[in-house]
Amino acid sequence: MEETKIGVYICHCGLNIAGTVDSEGVAKYAGTLPHVAIARDYKYMCSDPGQDLIKNDIKELGINRVVVASCSPRMHEPTFRKACQDAGLNPYLYEHANIREHCSWPHAGDKERATEKAKDLVRAAIRRVYYQEPLEIKEVPVNPNVLVVGGGIAGIQAALDIADGGKKVYMVERDASIGGHMIQLDRTFPTLDCSECILTPKMTDTGHHPNIELMTNSEVVDVSGYIGNFKVKIKKKPRYVDIIKCNSCGECAKVCPVEVPDEFEMGLHMRKAAYLPLPQAVPAAFAIDKRGTAPCRIACPAGVNAQGYVALISQGKFKEALEVVRRTMPFAGVLGRVCTHPCELDCERGKFDESISIRALKRFVADYEMKAGREKLKPIKKTKKEKVAVVGSGPAGLACAYDLIKEGYAVTVFEALAEAGGLLRYGIPEYRLPKDVVDNDISYIQELGVEIKTNSPVKDFGEVFNQGYSAIFVGTGAQASQKMGIPGEESKGVIHALDFLRMVNSGVEMKLGSGVAVIGGGNAAIDAARASLRLGAKEVTVVYRRSQAEMPAIKTEIEEAEQEGIKFHFLAAPVKILSKNGQLSALECIKMELGEPDASGRRRPVPVKGSEFTMDVDNSIIAIGQSVDKAMLPKDIGYTGWGTLEVDPITLQTNLDGVFAGGDVVSGPADVVVAVAAGKEAAISIDRYLRGVSLTEERKITPKKVENVSKEGVQPAARSAMPMLKTGERKGSFAEVEQGYDEKTAIEEAKRCLNCGVCSECLECVKVCDQEAINHEMQDEFVEVDVGSMILATGYEQFDPSVIPQYGYKKYDNVLTGLEFERITCAGGPTWGRIQLKDGREPESVAIVHCVGSRDKNYHEYCSRVCCMYGLKYAELIKEFTKAEVYEFYIDMRCFGEAYEEFYQRVSEMGVNFIRGKVANITDQAISEEENGKLIVTAEDTLLGKLMRVPVDMVILCAALQPRSDAADIATLFTIGQRGDGFFLETHPKLAPVNTPTDGVFIAGCCEAPRDVPDTVAQASAAASKALSLISRGKVTTEAAVSYVDESICHGCGRCEEICTFHAPSIISKDGRLVSNVNEALCKGCGACAVVCPTGAISIRHFNMQQINSLVDGLLEVHNG
Amino acid sequence: MDTLSPYKEATDVILEAGGEPLKLCYQCGLCTGICPWNLVRNFVVRRIMHEAQLGATDFGSEDVWTCVTCRACVQRCPRGVEIIDVMRAMRRAVASLGIGVVPDALRISAKNIAGVGNPLGEAPEKRNDWAKDLKVKDFASGTEILYFPCCIPSYDPDVKTVARSVAAIFNKLKIDYGIIDTGAKCCGEAIRKAGHEDTFQSLAQNNISLFTSKGVKTVVVSSPHCYHTFKHEYPELGGEFEVIHITQYLASLIDEGKLKFSKEINKKVIYSDPCYLGRHNDIYDEPRKILQSIPGLELIEFPDAREEAICCGGGGGRIWMDTPKGERFSDIRVEQAAEKGADIIAIACPYCFLNYRDSVLSMGKSETMQVKDIAELVAEAM
Repeated sequence: MEETKIGVYICHCGLNIAGTVDSEGVAKYAGTLPHVAIARDYKYMCSDPGQDLIKNDIKELGINRVVVASCSPRMHEPTFRKACQDAGLNPYLYEHANIREHCSWPHAGDKERATEKAKDLVRAAIRRVYYQEPLEIKEVPVNPNVLVVGGGIAGIQAALDIADGGKKVYMVERDASIGGHMIQLDRTFPTLDCSECILTPKMTDTGHHPNIELMTNSEVVDVSGYIGNFKVKIKKKPRYVDIIKCNSCGECAKVCPVEVPDEFEMGLHMRKAAYLPLPQAVPAAFAIDKRGTAPCRIACPAGVNAQGYVALISQGKFKEALEVVRRTMPFAGVLGRVCTHPCELDCERGKFDESISIRALKRFVADYEMKAGREKLKPIKKTKKEKVAVVGSGPAGLACAYDLIKEGYAVTVFEALAEAGGLLRYGIPEYRLPKDVVDNDISYIQELGVEIKTNSPVKDFGEVFNQGYSAIFVGTGAQASQKMGIPGEESKGVIHALDFLRMVNSGVEMKLGSGVAVIGGGNAAIDAARASLRLGAKEVTVVYRRSQAEMPAIKTEIEEAEQEGIKFHFLAAPVKILSKNGQLSALECIKMELGEPDASGRRRPVPVKGSEFTMDVDNSIIAIGQSVDKAMLPKDIGYTGWGTLEVDPITLQTNLDGVFAGGDVVSGPADVVVAVAAGKEAAISIDRYLRGVSLTEERKITPKKVENVSKEGVQPAARSAMPMLKTGERKGSFAEVEQGYDEKTAIEEAKRCLNCGVCSECLECVKVCDQEAINHEMQDEFVEVDVGSMILATGYEQFDPSVIPQYGYKKYDNVLTGLEFERITCAGGPTWGRIQLKDGREPESVAIVHCVGSRDKNYHEYCSRVCCMYGLKYAELIKEFTKAEVYEFYIDMRCFGEAYEEFYQRVSEMGVNFIRGKVANITDQAISEEENGKLIVTAEDTLLGKLMRVPVDMVILCAALQPRSDAADIATLFTIGQRGDGFFLETHPKLAPVNTPTDGVFIAGCCEAPRDVPDTVAQASAAASKALSLISRGKVTTEAAVSYVDESICHGCGRCEEICTFHAPSIISKDGRLVSNVNEALCKGCGACAVVCPTGAISIRHFNMQQINSLVDGLLEVHNG
Repeated sequence: MDTLSPYKEATDVILEAGGEPLKLCYQCGLCTGICPWNLVRNFVVRRIMHEAQLGATDFGSEDVWTCVTCRACVQRCPRGVEIIDVMRAMRRAVASLGIGVVPDALRISAKNIAGVGNPLGEAPEKRNDWAKDLKVKDFASGTEILYFPCCIPSYDPDVKTVARSVAAIFNKLKIDYGIIDTGAKCCGEAIRKAGHEDTFQSLAQNNISLFTSKGVKTVVVSSPHCYHTFKHEYPELGGEFEVIHITQYLASLIDEGKLKFSKEINKKVIYSDPCYLGRHNDIYDEPRKILQSIPGLELIEFPDAREEAICCGGGGGRIWMDTPKGERFSDIRVEQAAEKGADIIAIACPYCFLNYRDSVLSMGKSETMQVKDIAELVAEAM
């Protein structure tokens, strides 16, 4: 083996080191240590002659290990390694000792001890270098594609530079158009070029450049790989508009019923849910803004698009609104009256003041059609060969038939009674649901081609199949009345509610005595009670065994009943029916009290001993429950323990092949809308069954509920009251009680809707788009691209001044932020460039407040850098276009750039008032005549030492630029750092301003720090040149001092994988066991994995135990004795 | 032109007291803009900071004694300058180095406090006379709570009702509490802010050793000033007690269901946040919670409430100094309260009590407006 010959070189660094450390003495000392062949000291080791000393010694003296003691290795370790390499020595046979930062600087004035310490460090380095090993440096090729994240001016500039250089760029932009904040600006200081004029050409170039692949509405979701070889996963969110087909005609926006504040116009203007992101949008295509599904639609068991029809009603599009209802189910008139409206319970507006009267609006559009008349529909073409039979024409059966006929199946509904409708016709009294409404909804279904056979009970399903039907839906309801099982129940004058209601609804003449007791607390009980009153009963009492709170009937129905004079006797139950000559005469009841909750969660009623009492009545209607009438169904069909049909909870399939069931026959008595939902589910199953595909797979698509619905700026407005029939007119009449909204009320009510999901999916846009560019079914798309480098240009957010309450932002109309003012002065903005107040007047005076949220430890400590200049720009524009006085409230003017100071001068010449002082307060509380109607800005003019109260019409807050709220997530995604202020951290503020700690990732623009357009463009070009330089190099060397795994002792526990922020180790299966495997190209050699490895299987090259131990030994040797 | 002749020793004291943050002051003037004095007269806080930075403080100026230490400026200072500390240091320099004049009224109060342990100059042995006819026991080892009413409720005939109300409430709820013997002295908070550091040290030592020897663990106080110094300043001198303001204590009794009301107070009540409870100690909700719990009582708010509340004018030793009519903050507050139609100004600080009482009287509003401590209202409604 070759003899170890160590060369040691001690630097003076001028007097930086030699002033405190005796460099010469250290060198002499080093020369005495084992294996040291030569030790020298030199004034500047980093200079060419200094480096030549090392090179010559390697060549001439055969030095094969080198130690340099100088400044920080961060500064010059690479320099000396390269010197070794140039002289033919492996650069890893080099060790660096830092005797400047570690000796001369901290111990200035104590030369003796500083020198001792330097000797220690040098000795340690010598001991370590002895054990160092040559390492192999690898090279990998660089993928020439570049990813640019962010489509603001920084991203655009970087992308164009690279693309013009002939390389491929993928540009990912989160919004629907590129342009960023710069395109929102009106003019740019100090030259006042119009931002649109200078940026639009660049945006168009970016959109059309053959080397740029632009992905808008997109976000990077995953990054892997390493410099030169990154793999990037991108989520392309749906735009719902095909950017190639769209010709920007704008018809979609014209018909769109939903308006939301326009973000591009800083909310000073409204836009539609179908919108062009900005006038110069690139890509030049409309987009549809969907933020999720509205809670009303999610709450609806049948999934009716409530937001959709409410939005259309708000625009007076009643016919179209009805179409939206019927897209999901046929019962607009019926459910517009009798639905229990879970939608209204979840309505977001209800969290603000009162929920939208959704049910009443649905009814309105149904009534509107009935009044206007409907043209007879053309039957739907049968595209499927199979026929489906539906047994029972209640809401479940008809809903099922409706969906199946729309799928192209022939559907026949078999109804046992004389007319279709089931409970809708025979159960619900007319004062709630008039028959013509039921007829209209059913005729709609029939006109589509559903055949309804009345007086056709079905008992034998086999026969139905034999008639050529391929599937059956059973929706026969729960029609048997439950008996109370008490003595006297068979007396004359006692009737069960369903029988009673059926007779009433069939027009059978009924005579009731003057006193009627209704037993029960559900909807049937209330219906029976209110019907009794209308049939002439004098006193109607509802007897219910629990308290009012537990009553299952619809709350408003109970209230109506009370208003009509119906009495309620709670916590009582009949125990015996007393009769005279077989004719009911009285009820013997017992009082109840509430005990522990039962299975339904309601408190169980318990009889109170000895509390019996009697009620004299002429009739009693029993409404204590309904059950399935088994006699109506085939014997071989399966039941649950509750006596309802047993079905698969998802597919609604019964035990019989091809037979499905839903509605009350399955659920027991429930709401109409629940039955409709069941019919719809069964239709899905039957269609799948007939097409021979799985009934269960990918069946439920859970819609994403919209979150954080903004209620900003919403004015409180009460829900429109439903006009009602006067209570006096109700007795003896079955006229409908609720009278419905008129057109004006309906529109007003609909306008209260917050449009939670933004796009309401009313689909009006689809109708008018003759390019067929709109597709509401678009889904997220994921693409993966390979790139060699990445440029982050993700920009900034504007500080929200409403967190400083004293400044009155969002409280006073005419307190604006900078970006808002940009839109106001912009010729294409909401005021067409006219500087005006909210009420349209031109301001007579304007205050411009600097340092809002910046230079303030309560918000951001940094200077936001651009505000002084844009504040001056505003002053210039106001002076140019209005006669207003302008007051600039500043702390220090920072006009540092080219022609900036000159601009300051120009604005000063225009007569702008400069007040040096931080604004304390902005208020509308006047204390003098001249302050009346003004905003008063208070600040000390610190140059005068006087407190100023300046009355103005408008205040512009120069709000700070701040890091994006998700900057931390982006930093994690790309493995880069953030400064304390949240902006991205560059590798070196002066020498590597666009580099990041992750090689191959560069940053540009305001994601790195607040900066103006000129600096941003320069920085973007710098980042582009870094990327291009990497591409032209074509290959990169990878770090050789990386971790490696001793697979024989690795357990594959995965801790190394967890701790590594660079994703270098991963657990793989090798020869049947799990072991860690290190991707050397990703490893930075930080050693975290080696520290957590429980078995010591992972080590870092160049930092093995012997190397480290010898270094430590070298340090401690003298001191230990 | 006049030249400045910095008095090195004094300016060092100020620079030291202001610490690093004083050097950070960038003269934006926000403090001046916020300072309530500028509602009634000029007081250029920023200039005082700059003078302090440069060692150019004018110790003879009236400005040395003006600050009410309300913390409105400190709360929003963009550079975090502890302006109150600087003001205190200027006063300390005057008081201890004799390089300026201590205002007469303050000098008398300071003398009283140093001499007899209370600013009113009353006899120490009369400190607990307010409780004579009430069944209030002396604090002894093992008693759960020490109630410390502050000198003003102990001696001032008008304000005694505050202490007496607390005792009535505690008696009714059978709280295990006691009052300390007459060896207790003023807490020293305000005299310290007025620059009399030695006096403060001796008061604090006296109280700490008294409390400690008696075995005090928990102190309930009526004054936010006692609260502040017990909680933040006594620990530095070795006095570690759990300190609870009476409003915190009463609010917790309401939460626990122990304090219930049986009478209605059908009045419009406006609550004035004391600086030392609010801005200095971040206690805003408890007093309001108590008032909202009283049946019939309608709580209304000043236009500037909570963090923005205007000082009564009594902090920083100003309670002992004369403020000419037209410059009294409490006059502004009473005017605001009247505009809002308040029947009662509810307070939670004895200094506020004195200032509002005087304003209501001098403005001729005593027919229509009352000043009451929250404890008084609670006692009435029980």
